[in-house]
Amino acid sequence: MATPDLVLTTAQPQQSWRQRLAEKKLPWIPIVVLLVLLVCAAFAPWLAPHEPTSLNVINSKLAPFESSEHPLGTDVLGRDMMSRLIYGARTTVQISVTALALGAIIGTVVGLVSGYWGGWADAVLMRITDAALGFPTILLALVVVVIMDPGPLAIILAVLLTVWARFARMIRGDVLTVKGYDFVTLARITGVKSPIILWRHIFPNVANTLMVITSLMVGQIILLEAALSFLGLGLSPGAPAWGIMVAEGQEVILDVWWLSLFPGVAITVVVLAFNFFGDWLRDFLDPKLRRAG
Amino acid sequence: MTGYIGRRLIEGIITLIALSFVVFGSVHLAGDPARFLLPISAEHDETVYEEQKARLGLDKPFIVQYWNFLRRAVILDFGNSFTERRPVQEILKERIPATVHLAVAGMILAVGIGVPLGIISAVKRDTLLDRICKAFAIFGMAVPQFWIAIMLIILFAGYWGWLPAYGRGDTQGWIPEWSQIPNMFRHLMLPASVLALAIIAAIMRLARSAMLEVLDTDYVKFAQVKGMGDRVVIWKHAARNALIPVITFGGISLAGLLNGSVVVEVVFAWPGVGLMLLDGVLSNNYPQVLGAIMVSGAAYILTALVVDILYGYADPRVRLN
Repeated sequence: MATPDLVLTTAQPQQSWRQRLAEKKLPWIPIVVLLVLLVCAAFAPWLAPHEPTSLNVINSKLAPFESSEHPLGTDVLGRDMMSRLIYGARTTVQISVTALALGAIIGTVVGLVSGYWGGWADAVLMRITDAALGFPTILLALVVVVIMDPGPLAIILAVLLTVWARFARMIRGDVLTVKGYDFVTLARITGVKSPIILWRHIFPNVANTLMVITSLMVGQIILLEAALSFLGLGLSPGAPAWGIMVAEGQEVILDVWWLSLFPGVAITVVVLAFNFFGDWLRDFLDPKLRRAG
Repeated sequence: MTGYIGRRLIEGIITLIALSFVVFGSVHLAGDPARFLLPISAEHDETVYEEQKARLGLDKPFIVQYWNFLRRAVILDFGNSFTERRPVQEILKERIPATVHLAVAGMILAVGIGVPLGIISAVKRDTLLDRICKAFAIFGMAVPQFWIAIMLIILFAGYWGWLPAYGRGDTQGWIPEWSQIPNMFRHLMLPASVLALAIIAAIMRLARSAMLEVLDTDYVKFAQVKGMGDRVVIWKHAARNALIPVITFGGISLAGLLNGSVVVEVVFAWPGVGLMLLDGVLSNNYPQVLGAIMVSGAAYILTALVVDILYGYADPRVRLN
């Protein structure tokens, strides 16, 4: 349904990477947001003014800007909101990057194998992919938690189970196209072994698609991770994760509204930034994919 | 056509059986309900444990246990809930109507808002209105459902006090009494809006791009050239054709909503199947988990099946594929 037109255009003069970058302006706002996120994640212990889990009941429920020591206020147990938000960035990045990397690797391998060899392997793999795509993500995650008990591993596995299939589907489509190109046929005729063809000739040509899907998936993964944390299926209660912080704030929303507000804003801003960046990357790397989105 | 329906039916049944196998297998791997159910006084008493196991049928081989589960699942018998000490079937009977009400209300809102907005932003392309709609769609897809739900509760239930913050009110079962209807709608307002938000964005974009495509066709241009009024051309000639993909998407989203409402049900303490499932998962209440997942999965598969079949009627190309 959403397959892009695969008609080959006549050869265009190759623009250099730099030229194209100069033509298409970089999306500065998303890039800055993402840099802030990554810096917070990497240097959380140095950036955070307080320990994210240290309790201080005397200073509990401080409103934002009420005390210079706690710029974003404190929660019910007197934990510093700003420090928890910074550590939350770390949790988000760790879980999303792990799940995304694993999902991308598994999905790419499945997509390459399925698209290149075809036949019964393709039929079986695509059936499994369909099943994974067709099943609602939260239900799938709950099944995982039934087996594994709540924890970061359960969340990673749950996210992974839903993510890999999207990669597999898109990569397979691309492989089917690339497979038909002359250089692949020539490589095969000259007796190059299949694994080498896959790695040296086909993979480099689907790498753009891979990058685009990855950047477009990040936002969804962060949302899913946050939702699972919110439901209490991830890290233990009290841990600094944005989803958990929203859940903690929910119990006292009517008098301490900022507890739920800030982590939610953080999630929304980060997801927006990733979505915008992904859109930009798609236009930059592969204008063909534009219609597929 | 009958061949197509038959093929899709068989596929649906196979998916359902695969689902039941995976879910039952997961629960089987997850832990030992017999030990879980032992009274604390007899925790280390192996004979009591063996008796318990035999009584629950857990001493039999896995495949026999699975067969027994499957046989009873067909008539929606999942045993007794550990925590509530009554049949899961009874709980399901109370919970299913709540989830269906919420999903249908969310769907009606999403289609009712998303389709007109999509069509208008296609017709008024690149105007301020189109941009606002686009911004709304981008926002709708980036904001976490659970968070926007809490923010709406803070505003509408806490600060302004217009709407109830949680629960389903006095409504029970499928059909409320006349006097309860206002109360039912007041309780549905917030959760249904949250549920609708994410789909509105998708429906809007879909309706917009389908509409743009149709507006470019010869028959629409011909109608315009003939001198027909804009309103007739847009709503009668163009929109009707643009809506086919939207309707399909709507059907599939409804299937998703029947399950995807877990988060919304939790935030609003809505007594539906999703909340029942999460409670079951967090308390190792296996019969309740099995019942809730099987019903949700079956609802999903069946809805998708019905949508597919209807789509096959509407568009012959689908069934010939």
